Amino acid sequence: MIRQLFIFFLMVIFLSSCLKQSIADAMIADQDPGAKGVATLTYQINGNTVTTTVNGPDDQTSTDYQLICSKEPYLSTNFFLYGLDCLSTTGELTFTFGTALTVGHYSYLGSYGDMFILNYNNQAEYAHDPADSISFNITSYSQEHINGNFSGVLTPMIKAGFPNTYGTPGSVLITNGSFKNVPVFSW
Amino acid sequence: MLKGIFASMLFFIVTHSDAQLGVMKMVGKNTSNYSFGIGAYVKGIFSVSQSSDVTVELGANIFFLNDGGSGDGTVIIPLKAGYRYSLNGTGLGFYVEPQIGYNIYGVTSTYVDGNTENLKFHGLVFAANTGYLFLIGNTPLDLNLRYETVVDHGGSDNYVSLGLSFYLHFGKRDNE
Repeated sequence: MIRQLFIFFLMVIFLSSCLKQSIADAMIADQDPGAKGVATLTYQINGNTVTTTVNGPDDQTSTDYQLICSKEPYLSTNFFLYGLDCLSTTGELTFTFGTALTVGHYSYLGSYGDMFILNYNNQAEYAHDPADSISFNITSYSQEHINGNFSGVLTPMIKAGFPNTYGTPGSVLITNGSFKNVPVFSW
Repeated sequence: MLKGIFASMLFFIVTHSDAQLGVMKMVGKNTSNYSFGIGAYVKGIFSVSQSSDVTVELGANIFFLNDGGSGDGTVIIPLKAGYRYSLNGTGLGFYVEPQIGYNIYGVTSTYVDGNTENLKFHGLVFAANTGYLFLIGNTPLDLNLRYETVVDHGGSDNYVSLGLSFYLHFGKRDNE
């Protein structure tokens, strides 16, 4: 009898702990129903709009995702590296914020060295030229979700090799970029 | 007056009490920014038989949020009733203790769209507690491991705790 009761109790606890969000997350979602179940990232690349929408963004996994901000251990240190990653129908967009994730401004300049930013229809776009840059603003970070906007000037990489061959410097304009309700995942 | 009578009745019924300090960790989705928490409780124990006790427990658990200082964390104050069953029937050794109760007060202080908000909640509390009752000299101790969940607003806060509790002596049965 005692054993059955305890097993029943364990089942109740297991089922209740399967609820997908914390109490605070649930309360915030109740306050803002529009942000509850969809993550979006959109931008224009030379005037062409790219939009990625993910329903149930918190259900994504490390091996099956479309739009996340990952939090990964940084080499063998105690620090974590935060990075936005979006796999859209036109290709990947990625940006590393650094070892801290807070509301604020983040940028990468071409003068720092070549850096892949995104793929657009099999065309890789880099921060390459000293005048290139990509800037992200995180406007809110709450309950492990971020919102913000971004823009940039990039250079296309025409051909990979030694050395890489780049196209017209600064010919790729990223405008009206925004992301909303992107979950921050640890792994 | 009624409160006084009730307190007096409890004093005579409760055979002994425990107090505990424990280390806790919030678990589940989106809890990576929580560092270790601390918890304490006092527990009234009503002996039913040599192997069984009915327990009433009032706790206070604090979980610190380490997300760059934008929020403080979560406080939960559960009041629970439980049934503690000693597996070897002696009242010592390993035991299991399912508990159910109510969260008297809960608050999560967190950063929401540029402002720190205090989100207050209550909710049902379920806990599965297991531990080992033993004596060091004449001092009874209880080393225990617990999984606890608070359910409210369609979400849940889940945590595990590891604690060591000691008896508060004031009942007759302590001298037996």
